[in-house]
Amino acid sequence: MADIVTPKLDGKIRIPLMEEGATSHYHTLESSPKLNEALGYPGELVENWQEKAIEKFREVLDTNKALRVFMDICVKCGSCTDKCHYFIGTHDSRNMPVARQDLMRKVYRRYFTLGGKLFPKLVGASDFTKEVLDEWYTYFHQCSQCRRCSVFCPYGIDTAEISMAARLIMSHIGLSSKYSNEIIAKVYNTGNNLGIPAPALAGTMEFLEEEVKDATGVDVRYPMDEKGADVLLIAPSADFFSAPHVDSLIGYGKVFHEAGISWTVSSYASEFANFGMFVGDFHVMRKIAQRIKDAAREFGVKRIVVGECGHAWRVGHSFWNTLVGPWDFLDQRYPVPQHICEFSLDLIQRGGLKLDKSANDARIVTFHDSCNVARASSMGGYEGGQFEVPRELIRATCNNFVEMAEDTIKEKTYCCGGGGGLLTDDLMELRIRGVLPRAEALHAVMESHGVNYLALICAICKAQFTKVLPYYNIPMEVVGGIHQLVGDAIVLGGAKHEV
Amino acid sequence: MASIEVNGKQLDVDEEGYLQNLGDWNMDVANFLAKKEGIDMTENHWEVVNFLREYYEEYKIAPMIRILTKAIGKKLGADKGNTKYLYELYPGGPAKQACKIAGLPKPTGCV
Amino acid sequence: MTRLSMVYITLYYIAFAIFLGGFLFKIWRFAKTPAPLVIVGTPGAKSGVGTALRVASDALLFRSLFRGNKWIWVGAYCFHFGLLFLIFRHLRYFVWPLPMWYSRVEQLVGITGGLMVVIGIGWLLGRRFFHARTRYISAFSDYFVLFLLLAIAGTGLLIKFSVRTDIIAVKTFMLGLARLHPQPAPADPWFLLHFSLVLVLLVYFPFSKLMHAGGVFFSPTRNQIDWTRSTERNGGTSLPSRTRSLRRSARG
Repeated sequence: MADIVTPKLDGKIRIPLMEEGATSHYHTLESSPKLNEALGYPGELVENWQEKAIEKFREVLDTNKALRVFMDICVKCGSCTDKCHYFIGTHDSRNMPVARQDLMRKVYRRYFTLGGKLFPKLVGASDFTKEVLDEWYTYFHQCSQCRRCSVFCPYGIDTAEISMAARLIMSHIGLSSKYSNEIIAKVYNTGNNLGIPAPALAGTMEFLEEEVKDATGVDVRYPMDEKGADVLLIAPSADFFSAPHVDSLIGYGKVFHEAGISWTVSSYASEFANFGMFVGDFHVMRKIAQRIKDAAREFGVKRIVVGECGHAWRVGHSFWNTLVGPWDFLDQRYPVPQHICEFSLDLIQRGGLKLDKSANDARIVTFHDSCNVARASSMGGYEGGQFEVPRELIRATCNNFVEMAEDTIKEKTYCCGGGGGLLTDDLMELRIRGVLPRAEALHAVMESHGVNYLALICAICKAQFTKVLPYYNIPMEVVGGIHQLVGDAIVLGGAKHEV
Repeated sequence: MASIEVNGKQLDVDEEGYLQNLGDWNMDVANFLAKKEGIDMTENHWEVVNFLREYYEEYKIAPMIRILTKAIGKKLGADKGNTKYLYELYPGGPAKQACKIAGLPKPTGCV
Repeated sequence: MTRLSMVYITLYYIAFAIFLGGFLFKIWRFAKTPAPLVIVGTPGAKSGVGTALRVASDALLFRSLFRGNKWIWVGAYCFHFGLLFLIFRHLRYFVWPLPMWYSRVEQLVGITGGLMVVIGIGWLLGRRFFHARTRYISAFSDYFVLFLLLAIAGTGLLIKFSVRTDIIAVKTFMLGLARLHPQPAPADPWFLLHFSLVLVLLVYFPFSKLMHAGGVFFSPTRNQIDWTRSTERNGGTSLPSRTRSLRRSARG
């Protein structure tokens, strides 16, 4: 455990006084030259990096409306200054969203605006010096791209877009984070973030079949690479590796079993996560998404159902169609992709699942909206469905459901503190501090309602909370997936029907 | 590239202290790495490390946590076949800390 | 015509050209820059009408700011709507004749607007000076524009209430400018100061954060429609043709 003193929780979220530079030493590990080159970036910081960076900056400004508009229109009103979980947790003034944006804006002003070229001091413009580049690397790797600030901005300025663009520019001059690059390289090579080879994945799926058989006496299948299946399940690879992730995977299998639908995972596209988004690189994102399309076509599936993963749901829901569409070879009666929560809830509403809610009676459940689900995608095909579908699913499978404070849920949800490509051990301190507002909100309902289960639909959230909540004396056992609840409530063989 | 010195031999490790070459590993190396993590290797610690290495040799990846807990449960008794116990042995996490001591690469991703 | 008049007339047209050209250029650039990925902040509307309402609620009601910070909202709303009232009050200098009802309400609207602007700016300046986080994020340019607006409003109120200027002369001069048929400028120094400050504002506008005035309509997190899935079941919205064209534009 990292040596760090955390504040004692009392259920109240406080806006701290500013401490400039409090986290200027959180400098996530840089990627090795070998890794950078594997992704097509320069291995090391190129000699004329400043010139190259400005060149790339100009290219991004010309191809990304969001950045173009956001650089110009911030009025410094201050509405965002108290909204970031990292500011609340670290007190570092540069973690205020507008201050983070200004790290990029000051360079923009210097090289792309008249005022900045003529009177840099007066408009807060600055040369792109090595110090500024260091600040970029440090503080754009302290943004989890959760978009909470954007909700409260009068113009919807989204720091996530700015941090993605900054990381893209840095990658192109040979400076990027080890964590994300290592993962992207593994997806290219093995099809998943963890680097699980096909035989290991097959063994894991077989193991699950035995486990479920032992626990329930029913032969529930966990198939891999079965051509001709109806459904291709794309799950985050953490579901094949970690706890509590795997319990949700067990749940998905039970749902498909009861639905009577044949399904399979693919060893070629064994990853839903798409870190191309975190590094802001359209081409990386497309390459990773393409694997999934290729697998779906090869297997001849009718539909794609995806597992519990927050940022990947954004990529799937909002970007897949643009990146690698059309998906016209799939059955057009179903959305592409379909979220497992949509799939399960739909099945329940049509009477296709027999549930015994009392199986979850020992649990008092609350739900953490994952940022990319809450603020960057939707579910169920209606506005706000991303809030209702998971909650309805919880209510359908549990008797005890409690909401956390209103300003910490739905589109105002606080990040878990580990999103955006920051879920790495070398940023552990940042992660521990970043979870503070969520930990306070959770603590409040644990005290008031005895909540003992934090339901999630994101692999990053699950891993992050498991690791960092114990620093606040909240046991890791509270962390779990929604499909763990679903899986536990399902009465296998309970519903006989046609789907 | 960083390195560590065990029994007079220089061994390559990455920035986070994970051994670069699987073949460099031996029990002395494991003890050395464990000490750096603040862990005293007991017999139970070794059970975990040995299982990880065996599994890795076959599959080229660390096992899923449940496969590990089940194997440990079989060897050390059902009461120890759970994640909680593994965290007691390796507070830094059975996946990462135990892999490091076992000389395996760091598991990456949302774990 | 006096030399002074010539100078002011020339400056006016230069300033106005810079303002119009700069503003339109910026808007054109906002508009033409592609937005290949749909990054709308959700819950986002699933239809064009819903999206228009969303953007309108931000432009007219400052809805997001209201959710973010009520204190800023009060000041900002007071200031911006005061400004709107003042623009209304100045219509008589650009358009003539105006309907009867205009002259009945213009005084009231003008005075209210003037007070709202001064109070609003005072409020926002106060925040910049005394609220630690806001002070931290403020640069010289953030104060500059507030002081400039304050000076414009101040000189405006002055020539209205204190050192009353010759309204007929002002009107003749302004309408002459608007009709491209310049007339001599009034010689009142207070009016000329007020007028000069407005010219500074016009020139400053397109190069500054004041572009939020047009930019608010181009923010992709607000003005996009959440229609990206190739088929939406359950909700009954099916937009395959739309997404295809979206894709084409993204690729092209």
